[in-house]
Amino acid sequence: MRWHFILSIVGILLFFLGLCMVFPLFFGLYYKDQSVIPLLKAMGITLAAGLSLIVCFRSVKVDYISHREGMAIVAIGWTAIGLFGAIPFYLGSEFGTFIDAFFESVSGFTTTGSSILTNIEAVSKGLLFWRSFIQWLGGMGIIVLSVAILPFLGVGGMQLYKAEVPSPVPDKLKPRIRDTAMILWKVYALISLAEVLLLMIGGMDLYDALCHTFTTMPTGGFSTKNTSIAHYNSVYLDMVFIFFMVLAGINFSLHYQFLRGKPLAFWRDSECRFFLGAVLVLTVIVSINIYGSVYETMGQALRFGSFQVVSIVTTTGYATADYELWPAMSQIILFLCMFLGASAGSTGGGMKCLRVMLYFKYCYKELFSLVHPHAVKRIKIGGKSVPEDVMRSVLGFMGLYIGLFAFSSVLIASMGVDFMTSIAAVAATIGNIGPGLGMVGPVDNFAHIPYLGKWVLIWCMLLGRLEIYTVIILLVPEFWRK
Amino acid sequence: MKIIIVGAGEVGFNIASHLAFENKDVVVIDNNLAALRHVSDNIDVQVLNGSGSSPVVLKQAGIKEADILLAVTDSDETNLVACLVANIISPTTKKLARIRSADYDEYHDTFRDHTPHIDTLINPEIEVVKTIHRIMNVPGAVDVDDFAEGRVKFVGIHLDKSARLAGVRLSEISAKIGKKIPLIAAVIRDEELIIPRGNDRLLAGDLVYFISEKDNYLDSLAIFDKQVEPIGSVLIIGGGNIGFRLANLLEEKAVLTKIIEKDPDRCAQLAERLNKAVILHGDGSDQELLREENIQNMDVVITLTNDEETNILTSLLAKRMGAAKTITKISKVSYLPLMSMIGLEQVVSPRLSAVNTILQHIRRGKVISAKSLKNEQAEIMEAVALETSDIVGKPIKKINIPKGALITGIIRNDNVIIPSGESVIEPNDRIIIFSTRQAIPKIEKILAVKLEYF
Repeated sequence: MRWHFILSIVGILLFFLGLCMVFPLFFGLYYKDQSVIPLLKAMGITLAAGLSLIVCFRSVKVDYISHREGMAIVAIGWTAIGLFGAIPFYLGSEFGTFIDAFFESVSGFTTTGSSILTNIEAVSKGLLFWRSFIQWLGGMGIIVLSVAILPFLGVGGMQLYKAEVPSPVPDKLKPRIRDTAMILWKVYALISLAEVLLLMIGGMDLYDALCHTFTTMPTGGFSTKNTSIAHYNSVYLDMVFIFFMVLAGINFSLHYQFLRGKPLAFWRDSECRFFLGAVLVLTVIVSINIYGSVYETMGQALRFGSFQVVSIVTTTGYATADYELWPAMSQIILFLCMFLGASAGSTGGGMKCLRVMLYFKYCYKELFSLVHPHAVKRIKIGGKSVPEDVMRSVLGFMGLYIGLFAFSSVLIASMGVDFMTSIAAVAATIGNIGPGLGMVGPVDNFAHIPYLGKWVLIWCMLLGRLEIYTVIILLVPEFWRK
Repeated sequence: MKIIIVGAGEVGFNIASHLAFENKDVVVIDNNLAALRHVSDNIDVQVLNGSGSSPVVLKQAGIKEADILLAVTDSDETNLVACLVANIISPTTKKLARIRSADYDEYHDTFRDHTPHIDTLINPEIEVVKTIHRIMNVPGAVDVDDFAEGRVKFVGIHLDKSARLAGVRLSEISAKIGKKIPLIAAVIRDEELIIPRGNDRLLAGDLVYFISEKDNYLDSLAIFDKQVEPIGSVLIIGGGNIGFRLANLLEEKAVLTKIIEKDPDRCAQLAERLNKAVILHGDGSDQELLREENIQNMDVVITLTNDEETNILTSLLAKRMGAAKTITKISKVSYLPLMSMIGLEQVVSPRLSAVNTILQHIRRGKVISAKSLKNEQAEIMEAVALETSDIVGKPIKKINIPKGALITGIIRNDNVIIPSGESVIEPNDRIIIFSTRQAIPKIEKILAVKLEYF
């Protein structure tokens, strides 16, 4: 482990983050609100910290990054970005203590969308813009963005890419990692642009349209309104949000293929079929379940049912209705959706459809070989058999995910939080969803979680965003051995 | 520029890493997952699992947009079929195949002119034999290459402890020797490439690369205290393909050649096919046999068995028993840095030879030939100075030459000029440029040509 080198890259990332603070500053200046001074100070601190890391640890030219160093850079980089991204919140008066600001910042970068704010609309526009913007940065990955635009990260970029976008089967769209990262960000920006336009057609002003796009595309879920999307109460906007949440939950390499003129790309991909099918089936079940008991007409049941299912399964976490008032069956389905998550290679969180599919196929294979002990059977996805080691890593992931969920829930509950809130808060943060159930439901917030509990949840959000391995590996003693 | 490489073995890996460094789009195909993972973990290229001779896989790799296909697996058949399939799907893609079997030797031209239209066929064994023959004739030389049809030689030698120049500053050499010295382009010290300036010293143990006109070449070697003596006798250990080809070549040059081969059947074959060479049946590491065959009087001992470790140990044994010079064949690139440490300076590697030759063949355009140094940190190439480029018409010292690059020779109307700061390059001169890997993109710029492939 070459710490000099790792810290200098973290310095570059921080410097980059500091530059990104120009955008909220612009809005702060435009609206002439009280966010200008905290943003300016935060920008100064972040740029200075980044620069001093770069200068202090300027190391000899490095021509490769080992797998281990890649994971360390990403894990440490994300923690540092979360910390420095919190400075504007901390310096602004609305967020309270540093842990709250840190929680909000990590919740932003990891595209979770859990908030500690009780009155969002009271926060100055500049800071709210930063709160949305960091979700957009974190969604496609701030390190992927750096790989795309900073040429010197091209060497060893693959290691960083794999650590930040850990898909069970990594696919490179282009021979060079820089081009791949560039394409992903271009597709991401293009779809975002489309959403901004469609939202503005629906009557939103540019500021709100940008803020909401920046939280839809990364499946983040921060809103600038206290009542989230319910504030607008518009069928058109609900449909636009549903459409773009679904898009954000699909593997971005499929979007790329689609844009390159392969309209059947979505249909040909078995994971995408699984994801869309799951969304459809669950929407129908939930809608029927809430029809009559909560909503008078089927149209309303479909509108609110589909929005909530899509919002949770893509791990966005917007709300148009308080689903805690819905029947238990719908609540349980939504809770399970938190675990399913979106597609691999999308901006969504959760376990990812691909892993769940592989897991079920593996279970079926086990059952099959009980009936035919001598059978030779391979697990296949889209007609191609899945290598043993990929399957092992998926099983390990599922085990760790459930294990960490259980462990963290117990930790939260041990701090005096009730049963439902404990498990839902952990499920909602480790899956990067946002709102949970109980005391952290769609109309509540995370402000009342105990101090230590917030640390646990911050850790859960990072675990979920970097897909467990990159973060948990830092706890393995073997990782630190020379 | 998109390049598809079939085969992720040692040859494929090294070429891919070279090309990826120059920001080319590279796709590597192999059906060995472990080899592919090694590639994708270390080089910024795309990898594809499958057989390189399969049309489906080649299409998936994007053969239609590819400029070059390099078929470099260990299997001749796979390479040929890959080129054949590529020729059907995408006839405009240039094709290069690595062919090892000697049986195809006569058909290289046929393959080029008829289907499958393979533009270049590389036989690494032939290349290795050429390399061995070149370095055999220069004592202490690790690397010898010809430019400008052999009028300019580019030589890498190890500086001995006893050499007069060890510890001397570059600027003081001519005063010390009392005559003009060859241009020293680079020094490799502890695996690190140094472009020496006037104030830098040469140290014992350095690998010194210098450029010399052919006529002054012997004098140049003398400056480094290396004398050229004609090779009279050669002992080859290992009578495989390379051994046989080398013996064949040496027979033509009337050099006394002995081959030691373990396998009696192979010995019989060799005896049938060679006329003058002495074929000995036995183990190359057998001291008695070596002493019996007067190893201490041999000019060169060349170890060419298929076993790396045997080659290394046998060469060491031969050195200890008094052989004047050894050349060792090594396939594992990872062993190369060790070799000078244990005293085996002259090493050949079929795979590296193949990599070098392939690079040389695919880098064309206005660049006439190119060749990379031992540890691939630098390249030396011969190019035509275009009228449009920035380098013509002014003294060299006024040219903005990128750091790490050096103009080491100018060839004008068949005359070789070793340039000084005052020399002026004229249009259509051929120039020899030495450049580190980092500086190559900038060299492309000042030459005003793309260092295109093919």
